[in-house]
This record gives sequence, C-alpha cells and structure tokens, in this order.
Amino acid sequence: MPKLVLALGSPTLDKLTSAGVIMTGAAADDMEIEVFILVNAGHAFKKNAEINQMSDHTQTADEFNGELTRLNSSNWLELFEMSKELTDVTIHVCSLAGKIANAEQMEDFIDIVDDICGIGEYIDSAKEADINLII
Amino acid sequence: MTPEELQNVEAAKIIDARGTACPGPLLAAKKAIGEIESGEIMEVLSSDEGTKKDIPRWSKKKNHDFLGIIEEDSYARLFLKKG
Repeated sequence: MPKLVLALGSPTLDKLTSAGVIMTGAAADDMEIEVFILVNAGHAFKKNAEINQMSDHTQTADEFNGELTRLNSSNWLELFEMSKELTDVTIHVCSLAGKIANAEQMEDFIDIVDDICGIGEYIDSAKEADINLII
Repeated sequence: MTPEELQNVEAAKIIDARGTACPGPLLAAKKAIGEIESGEIMEVLSSDEGTKKDIPRWSKKKNHDFLGIIEEDSYARLFLKKG
C-alpha cells in the first residue's frame, strides 16, 4: 500500500484545509496516510478548539469559511474524518505540539487523534513514505 | 467512446455530485464504486472543472475503464466501467 506522510505545523484554517484536501485525494487512491501534528498545529486538535486564524491576510477566517459554504465544500475536520472513513489514516500528535497547546494526554485531544508520539516516529515514517509533505 | 455512443449507455449507478467542489465528486465516486459490480458502469455528474481530469486519472490508477464525457450546459457526465 503506497504511503503519504504529512507533517502539519500550523493550526491555521487554510493549511488545515489544504492538508484535508490532500488527504482525501490520497484516500481516493487507497494510500495509507500518516499525519504528524507538529509545534503550533497541536492547538487545532485540542478539544473545544476555536480555529479562526489564517496563515496570511488574503481573507479572514469568516470569509474563507463563507467561500467553503458557497462552494458546498467540506471543512477541514470533515475532510480529515472522510479520509479516515476511506483509508488507513493515523494521526499522531508530537509530544512537543501537545505541550505547546497545553494538552499532554490523549483525552485532551479530539477523537480523530490516534496517539502522542516523539519526532523519531515521524523520521522513520518519512523514510518509508512514497510522498512526504510538510505543510 | 464518443459522446454519441455514451448517450446510449445505461449506468448501473449514477452519482450526482453537481454543486460540490473538489474533492467532493472524486470522493463521491470513490464511495460509490464499491456499490457496483466489476464490469458495471457508473456515471458521475459534476459541475466542478477539476473532476474532468480527476476521474479519468483515478480510473486509470484503480484499473477502471474510463469511457468518456458528455458535456451538458452547466455540468459534465463522466462514465467509467468498474475494473
């Protein structure tokens, strides 16, 4: 099974959505997917997180969400969940990302998170991956 | 197949993904392909321009036989035979 490894370092809406779109494309191809949540991205995967920042100032979060609604497109979390329904997806939170988000236990994170890991796991997975992306 | 030939094709399953943006139509096709048998035909309706490239490419990778496209006024009808 070909494998996509995706390292996500930002909790901004546009980057989360980009990751979700890429994941669904890989899921359609039946690729195995491993996502590594690094540094600030941990904030997005905490329970009750409010994701309302963009990585640049082209649009506000409200404008961006409005565009997704107008286009009848799924939001980032729905894209992640759809990918999990379609293929083998593992979402790892790097322990540093958890600490930065003040979330160090599995119960601190939303249900799609599978485990808390160290960076060595990312390196090993990236070595084996057919595609390795850093967003 | 030509658009004229495709007009006579009877699909075992029709997926109406009109009004959804990428990756919606591709995901709809991926979900639905499991509901038909090998050799049966699926038709995907899409108003998303990217689907016209995504579905043929995906069909090739997954060993389905992409049959062709009929262009309608505001959407496309894409046909594939399950491999």
